[in-house]
Amino acid sequence: MVISIKDAAKLFGISIIACCAVLVCTLFLNFYFDIMQIKDLIVSQQAIAMYEAQISQVKVVCIATGGGLLLTSVVMLLFYIKNYIDTHKKSLGILKAIGYPNIKIAKHFWVFGLSVLLGSAIGFAGAFCLMPAFYAQQNSGSILPEVTINFHVSILFCLVILPAVLFAALAIIYAYFKLKRAVLALLKDSPSDTSTPKKHKDNGKKQLPFIKELQKSTLSQKKSLVFFVIFSAFCFSAMTQMSFKMRELSSEMMGAMMLLIGLALALSTLFIAITAVVRGNFKTIAIMRTLGYSQKECRYAILDGYRPMSYIGFAVGTLYQHFMLQIAVDVVFADFDNIPEYNFDFIAMFVSLAIFIAIYELLIFFYSEKTKKLSVKEIMLD
Amino acid sequence: MIEAKNINKFYGNGDSKFQVLKNINLTIKNGDFAVILGASGSGKSTLLNVLSGLERPDSGEVLYDSANIAVFSDNELTKFRKNNIGFIFQQYFLLPNLNVRKNIKMGADLVGNTEYTAIIEALGLGEKMQKTPNELSGGEQQRVSIARALAKQPQVLFLDEPTGALDEQTGRQVLNYIAQLQAENGFTVIMVTHNHNIANMANTIISMNSGRVSDITQNQTPLNAYEIGW
Ligand SMILES: Nc1ncnc2c1ncn2[C@@H]1O[C@H](COP(=O)(O)OP(=O)(O)OP(=O)(O)O)[C@@H](O)[C@H]1O
Ligand SMILES: [Mg+2]
Repeated sequence: MVISIKDAAKLFGISIIACCAVLVCTLFLNFYFDIMQIKDLIVSQQAIAMYEAQISQVKVVCIATGGGLLLTSVVMLLFYIKNYIDTHKKSLGILKAIGYPNIKIAKHFWVFGLSVLLGSAIGFAGAFCLMPAFYAQQNSGSILPEVTINFHVSILFCLVILPAVLFAALAIIYAYFKLKRAVLALLKDSPSDTSTPKKHKDNGKKQLPFIKELQKSTLSQKKSLVFFVIFSAFCFSAMTQMSFKMRELSSEMMGAMMLLIGLALALSTLFIAITAVVRGNFKTIAIMRTLGYSQKECRYAILDGYRPMSYIGFAVGTLYQHFMLQIAVDVVFADFDNIPEYNFDFIAMFVSLAIFIAIYELLIFFYSEKTKKLSVKEIMLD
Repeated sequence: MIEAKNINKFYGNGDSKFQVLKNINLTIKNGDFAVILGASGSGKSTLLNVLSGLERPDSGEVLYDSANIAVFSDNELTKFRKNNIGFIFQQYFLLPNLNVRKNIKMGADLVGNTEYTAIIEALGLGEKMQKTPNELSGGEQQRVSIARALAKQPQVLFLDEPTGALDEQTGRQVLNYIAQLQAENGFTVIMVTHNHNIANMANTIISMNSGRVSDITQNQTPLNAYEIGW
C-alpha cells in the first residue's frame, strides 16, 4: 500500500548505518562486560596495569563511538524517516481521502523498524564473528587470564531489539501526526514540507535572474534538506577523522576496522543525503528541463546551492570530533600520569576532505547525468 | 512548417507492449491554429509530446522546416525547446515553492523577456502575483501555466486541454488572448481539447482515434473566441 517491498528495499541505507554502529558497539561492550567478569582473577601488577589500560581504551572507544557514530546515526535515521514520510505525503493523503483511518495508514511504517532490525542484527552477528580475533588481539601476549566470550542478553536487547522497536514506533507516530492534517493539505503541493513558509517580500523590483531566485528559494524553503546535507557532511567529517585517529589510540586491527566502518557509515550517510536532495527536487528539475533549461542551469539552480552548506557541515564535524576525542581522552585518562598526547591531525583532515570532495562531486555529477533523462512523463503521476 | 512522417510510438515491452501512435502523418503550416480532437486515451497527449520534442518517437520523423528533431540529442532537444516551444500541460506543472510571478518569470527568463507583467495582467492574475500555486484555484493555476508558456514568446505553442479547468467566461477570455497574441506575433498553435466547439476557432482540425489520425480537415472560416459555442 503506502510502502511496497520495493520501497522497503530503498531503506537499505538505514540498515547499513544500523549495522556499522551496532557492530562496533557490540564488540567493545561485549569485551568490556567479559573483562569485568574476570576482574577478580587478575592479581599480578603487570596484569592490573594491562587491565586498566584495556578498560580505559574500551571507554574511549565507547564514548567516542557512542557519542560519535551511534548518536549521529540515530539522528540520521530520524531524519531519513522524516524525509521519507514527508515525500510520501501525497500517498498518505490519497488513502486518507478514500477513507482509511489514520492509524491504519500510519502503522505501515513499521517497516522502518524492520530495516533497523535487519541492519543491527547483521551488525550484532558480525561482531560475534570478529570477536575471537578481537579478543585475541586485545589480550596479545596473554598477560591477562583468558577472556572468554560470553553472550550478553542485555547487549542484544539494547543494541538490536530496543532500537528496532523504538524506530518502528517513531515512524508510526510521526506518520500519524502528519496524517492529522487536513486531507487537502496532504494532497496539495505545499510550498515546503515544514510549516507555512515565511513570505518573502517580493516586489518584483529586485530583478534577480530566475535561476538565481530559484537557487535562493530552493535553499530557504526546503530547510530540512539543507539540514540533511549539513548534517551528513558533519557525520562524514567526524566519522572519517575519528576513525583515522582511533588507529593511533588503539591496536592496528581495530584501527583498520574502525576506518572501514567509519568510511562505510560516512559514505552511506552522504549517499542518502544527496539522494534525498536530488529526489526532493526531481519535479522542479523535470519541469525546468521541459521548458528548455539546460542541464547546467538546473544543476546551478538546484544542486549547487547545497555545496557551501556541505562545507560548513564538514568544518563543524572536524571541530566536533576533535573536541569529542579530546574530552574522551581527558575523562578516561584523568587519573593517569602520562596522558597520551593528543593533537589536531591535519593529515587526517586533508585526507578526509579530499575523499569528501571527490565523493560529493561524483554523486552530484552522477545524479545530474541522470536528470538528463528525466521526462515529465515520470513526474506526471507523482 | 511542422511535418510528422510515419510516426510510431510504443509503450511497455514484451507482452504489455502497446502501440500508442500508429503511423501518424500530418502537416501544420507556420502560423496555423490546429486543434487535435479525440476520445480519452486516443493518444493526443502523446502526439503532442512527440511533436514538441518532449518524447522521441520509436520510428518516423518530426520535421521543423526540414530539421528532424526525432534524431536530436538530449542537449539539442533542450536547446530546441528553449528557443521554439511553449508548452501548457494537462496537469499544469507549476513549481510549488515559487510564487506566481516567479513561476512565470521562469519562462520569461529563458528568452530574456522582461515585459512579462503584461501577460500576467491580461490573464487576470495581477492580484495573485505573490501567491504560491497551492493558494490558487485550479483555473488560476491553469492560467499561470498558460502565462508561463506565453512569456517564453514561443514559435510554436502546444496546449494540452488548456481550458479544462476554466468556466465559460474565463475560458473564452483566455482563448481570445491567445488568439490575439497569435495574430500579433504569428506563432503556431497546436491545441488538444475535448471541447468540439473550440475546434471552430482552428484552421486545421485533426481527429484521432485509438492512436491513428482518422481525419484532417481545413476550416476556411474560423470563428473567434466569442463566436463559438461552449
Ligand atoms: N508511460 C506510459 N506507459 C504505458 N502506456 C501509456 C503511457 N502513457 C500513456 N499510455 C497509454 O497511451 C494511451 C494514450 O495516452 P495519452 O495520454 O496520449 O491519451 P490522451 O488522448 O491524451 O487522453 P486524455 O484525453 O484522457 O488526456 C493511453 O491508453 C495510455 O494508457
Ligand atoms: Mg491527454
